Amino acid sequence: MAPKKLRRARLSQELCERLSRYQITTCQDFLCLSLLDLMKVTGQSYRNVQKLLCKVSLACAPKMQTAYEMKVRRAVNPSSAFLSTSLHGLDKVLHGGVPCGSLTEITSPPGCGKTQFCIMMSVLATLPVSMGGLDGAVIYIDTESAFSAERLVEIAGNRFPAYFDSDEKLFSMTRSIYLYRELTCGSVLKRIKSLEEEIISKKVKLIIIDSVASVVRKEFDTKLQGNLTERSNFLARGASLLKYLAEEFSIPVILTNQITTWLSNGLAIQADLVSPADDLCLSEGASGGGKRESGSVTAALGNTWSHSVNTRLILQYHDLPTRQILVAKSPVAPFSAFFYTVEKSGFVLQDGKDQTNLTWEGTNPALQNIKFPCSTWIYNQLCKTESGNVLIVAGLSKTESL
Amino acid sequence: MQRDVGSLPLAPALRARLVAAGFQTAQELLDTGPCGLSKEIGISKEEALEALQVVRQECHSDATQTAGAPGTSRKCTALELLEQEQAQGFIITFCSALDNILGGGVQLTKITEICGEPGVGKTQLCMQLAVDVQIPECFGGLAGEAVFIDTEGSFMVDRVVDVATACVQHCQLIAEAHQEEDHLKALETFSLESILSHIYYFRCRDYIELLAQVYLLPDFLSEHSKVRLVVIDGIAFPFRHDFEDLSLRTRLLNGLAQQLIIIANDHKAAVVLTNQMTTRIGQSQSTLVPALGESWGHAATVRLIFHWDNNQRLATLYKSPSQKESTIPYHITPHGFRDVQPPAVTQNPEGTELNPRKRPRREEEK
Repeated sequence: MAPKKLRRARLSQELCERLSRYQITTCQDFLCLSLLDLMKVTGQSYRNVQKLLCKVSLACAPKMQTAYEMKVRRAVNPSSAFLSTSLHGLDKVLHGGVPCGSLTEITSPPGCGKTQFCIMMSVLATLPVSMGGLDGAVIYIDTESAFSAERLVEIAGNRFPAYFDSDEKLFSMTRSIYLYRELTCGSVLKRIKSLEEEIISKKVKLIIIDSVASVVRKEFDTKLQGNLTERSNFLARGASLLKYLAEEFSIPVILTNQITTWLSNGLAIQADLVSPADDLCLSEGASGGGKRESGSVTAALGNTWSHSVNTRLILQYHDLPTRQILVAKSPVAPFSAFFYTVEKSGFVLQDGKDQTNLTWEGTNPALQNIKFPCSTWIYNQLCKTESGNVLIVAGLSKTESL
Repeated sequence: MQRDVGSLPLAPALRARLVAAGFQTAQELLDTGPCGLSKEIGISKEEALEALQVVRQECHSDATQTAGAPGTSRKCTALELLEQEQAQGFIITFCSALDNILGGGVQLTKITEICGEPGVGKTQLCMQLAVDVQIPECFGGLAGEAVFIDTEGSFMVDRVVDVATACVQHCQLIAEAHQEEDHLKALETFSLESILSHIYYFRCRDYIELLAQVYLLPDFLSEHSKVRLVVIDGIAFPFRHDFEDLSLRTRLLNGLAQQLIIIANDHKAAVVLTNQMTTRIGQSQSTLVPALGESWGHAATVRLIFHWDNNQRLATLYKSPSQKESTIPYHITPHGFRDVQPPAVTQNPEGTELNPRKRPRREEEK
């Protein structure tokens, strides 16, 4: 995606030479100048400069397609538009499954099943098209070293026992999943840039990055000056690269994210420490009137990241072992929730607890409250005292009881 | 005719030579003629002829402007403007509350900006408008076409199919109730396929492609003269990263805004932009504000801010030259952008024509 050189925009040779004397060699430089600057630099009249602009723009502009052509293309090859998650209720709501050509994010507190979901999707992508898969390879970028090959084989064997009846089939499936371990932001970005060639040579049909948040949060401490903008820059660059890959090859991209505490408006003025023995449970958020007065746990990486991903699925705890999967942001699906458990065969939806009446209860996907069990974790929280001051309860501890 | 030579749109080198040779007004150039000019300046006869043609055209257009010819000048009285504005159509949004606060719908020849938090419905409204602009005139629409420039990749054809199908069904209901000739004839051409074929989609991956596309847009609109809506979904996304030089960004955005205003006016189209929200960290609190900075706020004529209040989506009219600032709730249903509940019972015969919740009352009168 390097900027296009002016030579390729069909400008005359002498014009290109003249422009290169002013350090204008790419279409990017040319289009960023104002008309007066262009007249000075090219030495041509106003009308000619406008014609030149059109010529250079034609070289850079995208191709036009009508919505009808897009629909026809999807209709011709319907399975190529989505990757089915094999969870029937979820697929129905998402109009087919995880959409191809856009970014899907899975967010949850630790231990809810993000990596399990990713491993399950890897198996599904390698299945033949007749079984709902994409019949292709998978690129799995692992930043937390959480991928377990044994679990992969277990899920495959238990979910599709009829298909994976021989060791031969299992091995061919595992051979098509390419695992990369990247531990820094820079190496993740480098890896993403190198993916274009790998996708073509290995016939990749799914990219998974597990997880974006861990590597970003390790390196960028947002309390330090300037780190917030650098972090946003890195995320935006990564997101646009991934979107380019997703659309160019029409494949789904799955990213995982972590959670963070969201501080409400009107921050802490005083901080009092309260004994951690008090059983403080996370509020359900948005209680009593419109203003959020207590903190809550939401998806990490900030507002801009929430804009960049196209679909956001949130996993949260319900009553153990049941958990919930929410569709928090999607261009095709309303807000919905499903209950599931994690079994040997991966995710299993609980039927009968259909939550379609939740259609209009969604809220801002960047601020969607995420539940987690308070009897086993105590996180940083905000809560109000009677005097109206805001406290911060410090302490990140995991109690062994319960 | 007395125009100064230095202000003519000639090549800079040529201009410098003319001034150095002592020419002061355009009339002098025209009087000298191409041969005399070429001898004095030392340029070829063809170049001299070309330059004189440019000068002649410039002076001609100057003259018509000063003579006040109504066709080419851009002057008119406020009364003419009032008549124009009243005759102008709006693009309805199918949410009557939103149409009301906008004064009828999204206005043509103006730039409307929609800011909002992620997931609140900006792209949904854009897709709804791209379908609504195509409603035939007998149903109260503009019978236009739409250009959709996508920078974020959230345009989903399946969703547009849902919205378009609901719109066609709605028009069919009206046609059945009224049973008029032109309604049925219009319905023959207003189908799902025709709606989709008239949405022209461009996917711009970075700001260079976006700039290039906007430069090419006037030519495209001249070829497709029925286009009445230009949507740029995500004007913020390509400008929010990789820009160390913020002054370049401001300049490019201002240039973009000016071009869009010219396009909106010349082609009588509505321009709709969507913007993101960004966190502004103040001394003791952080607030969400529209992205792209303060100066971008001046670019749009009408500004809508979409936000959440717990579980309810709200739309606020934040900036408008003619309407009052107000907030209304709305919903996104499987059929598209809609009101929260059936609106009030007041009967305004033309107004309820396209009310999605009520059937027109005329059938009872028959």
